Amino acid sequence: MKVRDFPAACLLALTAASLGALPARAETPAELDALSRATDQPGSGVALARRQIASGELLDALATLERVILNHPEDEEARLLHAGVTCSIDDRRGALVELDVLRGREFSDSLWDEATADCSRQREG
Amino acid sequence: MRSLPVRVIGKPAVAVLLVLSLAVAVMAVAAPRVIGIAAAVVKDVRIKGAGAANFSKASVRQRVALADQVHTGAASRLQLLLLDKSKFTVGANARLTIDRFVYDPSGSSSFSASVAKGAFRFMSGRSGRDNNSAIKSPAATIGIRGTVVDGVVGELAAAIARSERAIGRDVESDPETATLVVLRGPGPQTRGGVSVGAADVSAAGVTVNLDRPLQAAYVPRVGAPPIGPFTISMPGLARLGDLILEPQERLLPPPGSTANLPFPRDNLPQPGVFLPPPGAIYNGGGRNDGGFGPGIPGLGSFPELPVDRPTQRTRQTGQAQPSPSPTPTTAPTQTPNPPPTTTNVPPPTTAGSPSPNNPNSPNYPQQPVP
Repeated sequence: MKVRDFPAACLLALTAASLGALPARAETPAELDALSRATDQPGSGVALARRQIASGELLDALATLERVILNHPEDEEARLLHAGVTCSIDDRRGALVELDVLRGREFSDSLWDEATADCSRQREG
Repeated sequence: MRSLPVRVIGKPAVAVLLVLSLAVAVMAVAAPRVIGIAAAVVKDVRIKGAGAANFSKASVRQRVALADQVHTGAASRLQLLLLDKSKFTVGANARLTIDRFVYDPSGSSSFSASVAKGAFRFMSGRSGRDNNSAIKSPAATIGIRGTVVDGVVGELAAAIARSERAIGRDVESDPETATLVVLRGPGPQTRGGVSVGAADVSAAGVTVNLDRPLQAAYVPRVGAPPIGPFTISMPGLARLGDLILEPQERLLPPPGSTANLPFPRDNLPQPGVFLPPPGAIYNGGGRNDGGFGPGIPGLGSFPELPVDRPTQRTRQTGQAQPSPSPTPTTAPTQTPNPPPTTTNVPPPTTAGSPSPNNPNSPNYPQQPVP
């Protein structure tokens, strides 16, 4: 390599190195921000959880519902759905613990059936 | 027209670009690497970065980086969302440090944290066992593969463990380092084909494998091997859950209160039954052996959940439905814990009930002599 080409070569090498130091793209912080914002309000959080459940992203749905519960501990729909997803991942005893807290609360038939569907389904399995 | 020599134009530009590249590279090395965000922050949560002198109050959607230290105060909670979709929820009065985070979008990922104190729930970002993460406590290392794990370190771990029949009161626990771990799922019957996860609890050269929901292991102190696997009782599970999410007592009416209860009072269990009284011993089974208390109205007896039985919910018409006649049920089958695949240390010998968990009992499984 000629002496006058050396700075250019160094430039290329360092540029490549600086680009390599950046983290590989995963969920971006901005995407995580959107997931977090969705659970600032219980309605949008529960809606997001329902979409995740429908997509089979059960652990994501659990985390979403937990954020709703953390932000809005009085929200019973989120707790009921959380119990249902707990059943969905085969933790039925854990679901019973959560459902026990909700005794005496009012839920619509459709919501109750939606939430407990997997609890009942596993009995037949 | 004479053109300027290339050498004259090129050198300053090359020098500038060289300096800029060096600056970018240095910054990339020096800047803390963002691994996720604080997705939910409840009350007093403080985070200290690797280069920071002091803790600062955390805010929602604050970036979280490698080597960050987290402190939560009383009645405070935090949920971290990581770039690989892992979730780490931290309960009150917790102390933890983020040690490591590696993520390859086309392959595996791993996360490692040290929890000095407090309760947590970790959910792997991916199902299946490609996702290897670890949480270290002063007494144990918890390996997590594609699963949901609840844990607690410190005096609360010892308090819960004391009420578990598999542990008992006579195990010597260190309130600073005791560690309780419970696997929550996904289990074999998970909907949608989500892969089953697993966890290992290692301490003092012994490893206990957890591969089914509600299997648990307990490390009472530094230098002690894990006790387990055992099935955590439902009251124990409830207490652990309260440490991670908002305490469920908030939703219960005060003992003796009949205010705002839509059902006839005599159809409900006695208030306070949900949580065991101090010092109560519960095993990992169902109600018939004193495990959890009366069944949930409308849900039948543990562990079966009815498909067709109407519940005692108040329907939208506002009229309470009569409670159904209780269906006779058989006692849930008690599946004894299988013989350990690793060398497990049973609780210290004591005189006591002829429980299979009491080494003095003739029912206690004989351990092979090494």
